[in-house]
Amino acid sequence: MNTVSVNENPFGRKLVLACLLPILLVNIVAFMVPVLNLAAMSFRAASSTGSLEEGITVSTWLGLFGDGYYWSMVGRTVWFGILITIITLLLSYPLALFVSRREGSLKAFLVVVCISPLLISAVVRTYGWMVILGDQGVLPSLIRASGFTPPRLINNETGVIIGMVEILMPYMILSLLSGFGKLDATLEQAAGTLGARPFTVFRRVVLPLSLPGILLGCLLCFVLAVSSFITPKMLAGGRVSLLATEIYDQAIVTLNWPLAACLSVLILVVFGAALVLYGRLSKIVE
Amino acid sequence: MAKHSRRQVLVLGAAGAAGLAMPWVSRAHAQERRITVAAYSGIFEDIYKKTVIEPFMKANPSIRVNYVGFPTSAQNLGTLRAQKAAPQLDVCILDMVVAKAGANENLYKAVTPDVLPVMKQLVPTALIEGMPGPAVTFDNVAMIYSPKKFASAPTSWKELWNKAHAGRITLDAPPNAVGMGFTFVANKLAGGTDYRDYSKGIKLLGEMAPLVQSWEPKPDCYASVTSGNADLSVGYNARIQTFSRQTPDRIAASIPDEGSVFQINTINLVNNAPQQDAALEFMAYALSAQTQATFTEALPYAPTNRDAPLSPEALARTAVTPERMSKMINIDWLEVAKFRDAITEQWRRNVLTRS
Repeated sequence: MNTVSVNENPFGRKLVLACLLPILLVNIVAFMVPVLNLAAMSFRAASSTGSLEEGITVSTWLGLFGDGYYWSMVGRTVWFGILITIITLLLSYPLALFVSRREGSLKAFLVVVCISPLLISAVVRTYGWMVILGDQGVLPSLIRASGFTPPRLINNETGVIIGMVEILMPYMILSLLSGFGKLDATLEQAAGTLGARPFTVFRRVVLPLSLPGILLGCLLCFVLAVSSFITPKMLAGGRVSLLATEIYDQAIVTLNWPLAACLSVLILVVFGAALVLYGRLSKIVE
Repeated sequence: MAKHSRRQVLVLGAAGAAGLAMPWVSRAHAQERRITVAAYSGIFEDIYKKTVIEPFMKANPSIRVNYVGFPTSAQNLGTLRAQKAAPQLDVCILDMVVAKAGANENLYKAVTPDVLPVMKQLVPTALIEGMPGPAVTFDNVAMIYSPKKFASAPTSWKELWNKAHAGRITLDAPPNAVGMGFTFVANKLAGGTDYRDYSKGIKLLGEMAPLVQSWEPKPDCYASVTSGNADLSVGYNARIQTFSRQTPDRIAASIPDEGSVFQINTINLVNNAPQQDAALEFMAYALSAQTQATFTEALPYAPTNRDAPLSPEALARTAVTPERMSKMINIDWLEVAKFRDAITEQWRRNVLTRS
């Protein structure tokens, strides 16, 4: 049978372009225009009272680059993103593997259970953590009842990490489950038949085959961890300053929109770097 | 069927059309004007609607007021910035420092006693040089305490440095305005005499830092005490007093003997507002003596109209009693705006790091 590819058929190519046009327009209007607007705002300056000054300037960018405080904030944000992603992966991986090994309606039920937290707003879930981890909360009360002095679990870095990991776990589990599609049980059986012990089977067969899912989950969680501001705002008690929370403060509290725009562009650069790394690692894995 | 002349048909047609159009004609005659007032959300919104907006609409049936509440003044200004080309807001009530930023961007139209005669009844401190609109309410920073933990109201700010309250204190750090105001209170406690040199205050705040549970209590400093998560905090007097009336056993306000600092909200007419005349009518109503008194009786913001007929009880809940006024720290907030970033920086480096 003779087949004509879309590239060879001018009508087909036009049809593809026509189909892509709506989403292209939506992207231009809803994503590109605001991003460009943001970039333009970063080249303005705010006065001490917060009012926007006329004209284009690089002074906000120079101020940002020259201030070590913001560099340490970028470093802290990336470190937090990596730490939260690793903990989320370690907690989600066994869970996702367990779910992927189940069959039929039980598997469907477990998948729903794993992703059901997404049905509740992150704000509500974070308030839940405030109730659980707060000084008078469930967990410190239990620790006290056991005769120990509870460590501070909220209004510090610990609280942020606990809250963020719980919020990101459904995303990681979904990504891992999609990656586990490549796992073939017969390969594990074959490895076992050839004398490999369970840990060797995991290390040589299961883990390498689930790497695409791991990479996807890590990218997703890292980006969400770096851009999240609600949970750090609510659980950090003002002690953990991250890029996203600083953007909120600059835009909403001190009204320094140009600085908020510069920091937003900086976050986009971090995301870009994460995407490039993901692309390279994906190629290596494949 | 009888035949009708062309004239009869035209007359009948015109009469019918006029009859059908009458409801619209009469409605157009008494055309409704709609204005949008932007101010604070939460308890301010609830009480302002009841004591100012609704009575105003009752007194002016041709004007409908749409109230838009924002959690902070900065969000109020941000919305207007986004609408600069075609404003949807008519009147903005917001903190004077934020309003000044909007004024510098020509977002508000300056009003004078000529167009707003009620301004002649305002206290002199309500007419601030360089501001487009007059002050509409005065509030002050006050101490929040849990009545369950204190037999009587703390009378000194120094209670916040009492180690017995370690881990039971919350405080909104700068750039939050309460934290900014408290910096000047701490400066005075530490012996500082000029608010522009706040280094002594920063040092003293650093000593308090280890006792603080949260520098950003959520949902806010009032709830942190009401919920029992903290025993002491710092907030705005009017809100504390109102929450105290709702749950007197959980939260109470104290304006300590060392004094406090004022917070000023101004009322501003939006430049190119869609309904400028109606907006001015609303501003006149909001600044009138009776309206100011009614609002203060319900929410203890001090009035700016000197003729506001306040009850002694309402006056006692504000910071404008002669005794308290004498202890207030005199601060030019427009001057503070010039170095507020430096204050935030000092907090980050020398206060927050010590907790």
